[in-house]
Formats: sequence, structure tokens, C-alpha cells
Amino acid sequence: MSSLRQRFPSAWRLVATLLLLVLAVALSFVLSPLDDSKLAGGAAISIVILGLSWLIGWSGQVSLGNAGFMAIGAYVTAIWANHHATSPIVWSLVLSTVIGGLSGLVLALPATRLRGPYLAGMTLAFSFAVTPLALNWRGFTGGSGGLFINFLSTPAWFGGLFSGPDALIRANAQWPADVTLVVAAVAFYFMANLFHSRVGRAMRLVRDNEVAAELSGVNLQRARTLAFVISAAYAGLGGSVMTLLSGSVTPQTYGLTLSILLLTLMVLGGIGTLSGAILGGLIYSYSDNLVSLVNKVSGINPTSTLGANLKGIVFGVLLILTMMLAPRGLVGAGAWLRRAARR
Amino acid sequence: MGSFLASRLMTDIFGGLATGTVIALIALSLVIIWQSTHVLNFAQGAMGMFATFVGMNLVFHGLNYWWCLALSVVTGMALGALTERVLIRPLYGKPEINPIVVMIGFLGVLEAIIASIWTTNISMLPSPFSEIYYEAGRRTILVSPFVIYEVIVVALVLSGIALLFRRTNLGLQMRAAALSPEVSRLLGVRVGRLLTFGWALSTGVGTLAAVIVSTGQVLAPTNMDGIFVSAFIAAAVGGLESPTGAIIAGVSIGLVEQFILDFWSTSVAPLSGVIVLVIGLAIRPQGLFTRQVSRRV
Repeated sequence: MSSLRQRFPSAWRLVATLLLLVLAVALSFVLSPLDDSKLAGGAAISIVILGLSWLIGWSGQVSLGNAGFMAIGAYVTAIWANHHATSPIVWSLVLSTVIGGLSGLVLALPATRLRGPYLAGMTLAFSFAVTPLALNWRGFTGGSGGLFINFLSTPAWFGGLFSGPDALIRANAQWPADVTLVVAAVAFYFMANLFHSRVGRAMRLVRDNEVAAELSGVNLQRARTLAFVISAAYAGLGGSVMTLLSGSVTPQTYGLTLSILLLTLMVLGGIGTLSGAILGGLIYSYSDNLVSLVNKVSGINPTSTLGANLKGIVFGVLLILTMMLAPRGLVGAGAWLRRAARR
Repeated sequence: MGSFLASRLMTDIFGGLATGTVIALIALSLVIIWQSTHVLNFAQGAMGMFATFVGMNLVFHGLNYWWCLALSVVTGMALGALTERVLIRPLYGKPEINPIVVMIGFLGVLEAIIASIWTTNISMLPSPFSEIYYEAGRRTILVSPFVIYEVIVVALVLSGIALLFRRTNLGLQMRAAALSPEVSRLLGVRVGRLLTFGWALSTGVGTLAAVIVSTGQVLAPTNMDGIFVSAFIAAAVGGLESPTGAIIAGVSIGLVEQFILDFWSTSVAPLSGVIVLVIGLAIRPQGLFTRQVSRRV
């Protein structure tokens, strides 16, 4: 298996992506509509986590602004869908990705001149500005009420796959979820190739040794800007998918809290890896179950104020513990276990 | 004179100064930590707010404002020292994003904990001085006794910190420990203790700022969020290394935000921090008040 992977790396990546996609879509037929929507939400978030993971893990830049780029993608999709109701969804996805990337470029021009804490703080300032800006620019964003779009219309061939009394309801619930899974698969396939491309290798050199990178002809500024733009484009795509899934955008969704959550999920999964991003998405999907489990084990009353804030505490503590004890996240812990088992 | 002091220009200047001095105070606390441990403390606002809740909440149980203030600052210092020992010390020598991520996690935990302990609190924290603005004729001058108190406190703290670093043995040792831990250790300086003290000092200053921000307002876990971002920007534009730079940049940001709000547009106002940061760092990416450091290969 591993020799096949080494001998035909690009074919391996394509086959692995397709296998995972088929598995996920097959799962969506088996699971309940509730689990489907959780799965889809996780897939959408995992796109954003992957973009962040690339930025932090591969180019060594910290961003707290990706929720802001998600907001841009989400609003672009909603505005486009409301003005061009008949255009295929692929256009809203592409447009959100491109505009997300372009706004990343605007922020990257000053941001990539900054290092570590400066950059994190600058993106933090951007993150803080997003919600007030969305509230203020009512003409575009619909103010505090946000924007609503029509749900995706299910094509006839897809509806034909279902039978029984609730066929139509199930088809309508599952179609957006499956679309999301396909979009996520494309995003992951692209990133898998990017990791192993010339750009990916150059990026790792930029992260580990600036001087060596410069001496081997890598333009530091351009490499960092590119990393930032790709990360923002992924966030834009993720935001677009979130809008398609939920049918609405509100300014409060995309504040600093979400940026922190994204960072947490990425660190928990494993920085700079594809599987880490998938795990991060899964944790997001079932985070409520995780919190209610903690609730049950600790005996905290979920309706008390402590219960209401338990999610923030659980995720904050998890983030701190992971960073201090296992900085490579679940993926790193898994690799360690495998090595230990072989010994 | 009265009408000049009440003019639109002077109103903006006074308003900007009032927020600018607090921003400068928080920026200074960030610089203290950065200088001693090279960590940017993203949880600084929340840590100050936590200590403020511990101390100032007793105002509502009848305790004197000044005792509560002292209790808050002491709590803040203890929290800062504890944080350095438990969360930061194991991370020295690790990649620079590790402490950033840990402190962001701590920010989330603290805000959630504050929100779950103190919830019933909806009354305003009373001010020890009047917050009613002076008037000249029938026009308002944007200065109140509380604003004057605020400026005096900030000036006192700033000169105290400057004296500590420049004139005392302790300050000299802290500077030595930050500059070259290894050599300081060889010369008998207890570097570890000084780092802890640096965090305690910084969180104490941050708590003082949090109390000032929260006075005359409802105590809320997120009180410090917005002003922390401005303070961070001030510290960054000032160069993170320079206390003077942080103070000048902090006051300037207070003024710039006020002028953007008044003369440009309220819709752009949330972005004013980003604008200042971009312009400031475009002029000098390493900060306006730092010495040029050459890099050797």
C-alpha cells in the first residue's frame, strides 16, 4: 500500500480523494437527515480549517481573520444568489472563492510584512471589525437581520433516487449536504497537490529558514502573500458553502469567536495535515454532543449559567492542553500510538 | 476661551485623550510582557477583566471603591504570576505560535468563566469621581473630574514604571534578564523570578486599566475586547520594545479613532485601528520607536 503511494503519488491522491468522497456520500444516504446536516456543516468548516492549517502549518503565519474572510464569502454568495436566482450554484462558489482570495490579497499586502505576533494582532483587528462593518453597511448586508436565500433546488435525477412517503423531504435535505461533500473533496484534492508541489516545498523552507529560502531563489514576500491569499480563498469558499447550507447569513455568526474556534479545531486535529482538517471538521459537527457528554459526566446543570458557557470553557481548555502536551494534535497522537504499537 | 474649549476640534481632542490614555496604559502592559518574555499576551484584556470582577464586584456589597481597586490589582498580579508559571514557562524555546495559541485559548476560557460566575450583575459600577462634564456658558467641555483622575493615574503609573526600569536595582535586573538571560544567570540574577514578576507587574497595570474602562459601565466579560485591540495596535505601531513608543502610539490612536468617527464616517470607524496599523507599519515595519536591528547569517 505504502509503496503504491510512493510510486504513483498523484494518482494515489486522486484515488484516495474519490474513495473518501464515495464513502462520505454513501454515508449520507444511510444517516438520518440530522446527521447529514451535521456532516455537511463539518465538511464546510473543514474547508476553512484546511486553509488555516495551510497558512499556519506550512507558511508559519498565524491568522485570526479567517472568520472575516468566511463572512465575505458568505455575503457574496447571498447577494449573488438574490440577484441571479437562476444561475448555477457553481458560480456563487467560484465568485465567493475569488472575492475571498482578493480580499485576502488586500489584507496580505501589509500583513505579510509582519511577523508572528504582529500579524496575529493585525488579523485580530480585522476580525473585530467584521461584525460592526456588516451591521453598518445595511445596503449590502441587510444589517442585523442578515440576508436570506432560497434553498438549493434538488435536481430531478437526484430526487429519483429516493422512494417512499417522505422521499421528497429526504432528497431536499440531502442534496445540499452532498453538494458540500463534493465541494470539500475538490478543495482537499487541490490542497493535497499543493502540499506536494514546488510551492508547498518552497513554503516549508520559508517557514523553517528564511535565509535559506531567499538564497534558493524564493521571493519571501510573494510566498507569504500567496499563502495568505489561498487561505483567504478557502475561507471564502467555506463561508459560501455555509450560506448555501443554512440559507441565511447573519453578521453575528462570523465574529472573533468563530476565528478562535477555527484555530482550536485546527490545533485539535493536527496542524498542517489533511487528516487533521477532516478531524477538526468532525469535532465541529459533534461538538454539541461532546459538550453534553462533559455535562453528563460532570453533573453540571445544562440550564445553569455554567452549563451555558461550558462550550467556551471545554474548547479553550482543550486548545491549551493540546498546545502544551501534544502540539501536533490528534494526528500527531495517532502517529505516536502507531509507532509505539510497532515497537 | 470657554467656547474654544467646547469647539468641535477640542471636543474631539479631549474625547480622544480620554480613551487614548487608557489605550496607552494597556499598550504599556503589553510591552512589559513582551520585553521580559517575548510573548504577546492575547489574554491581557480578559485577565484584567477577571481581576476586575473579583475585586470590583464587592462594591455592590458595600465595600469602598478604593479597597476594591487595590484588591483587583493584587488579584491581577497574582493571576499574572500564576499564568507565567503554569502556562507560559513550559513554552519557552518553542515556536512562537505556541504561546500565541495558548493565550488565545486562555482568553476564551477566562471570558466563559467570567460569564458563568458573575451573571446577575446588571448595575453600573459607580465612579469615585463625578463623570459629569464641565460646562462653559451653556456648552459642554468634554472633560470631567473622572477624566482628570484617569489622566493623572496613567501619568503616575507611567512615571512609576519608568523609574522602576531606569533607577532601581530590580529594574536593572529585569532589563538584564530580558536582554541576555544566560549572562544574567551567571551574574547571579534570578531570571525565572524576574520573568514571573514581569507578568505580575504587567497584569497589575492591565487590571488598573480594566477598572478604569469598567467604571461608569456595566461590568461585562467583554468590556476590554475593543480597547485591547486598539492597545495591541498601539504596542505594535510603537514597536513592542519601547514603552515610550507604546504610550505615544496609544494616545495617538485614541485621537485618530475619535477624528475618524467624527469627521469621516461611523461605518469606517471599526476599521480605524486597521488603518492606523497599516499606515504605521508601512512607514516602519519594525515599529516606529525601535532601534534598527541587523540580522546576521
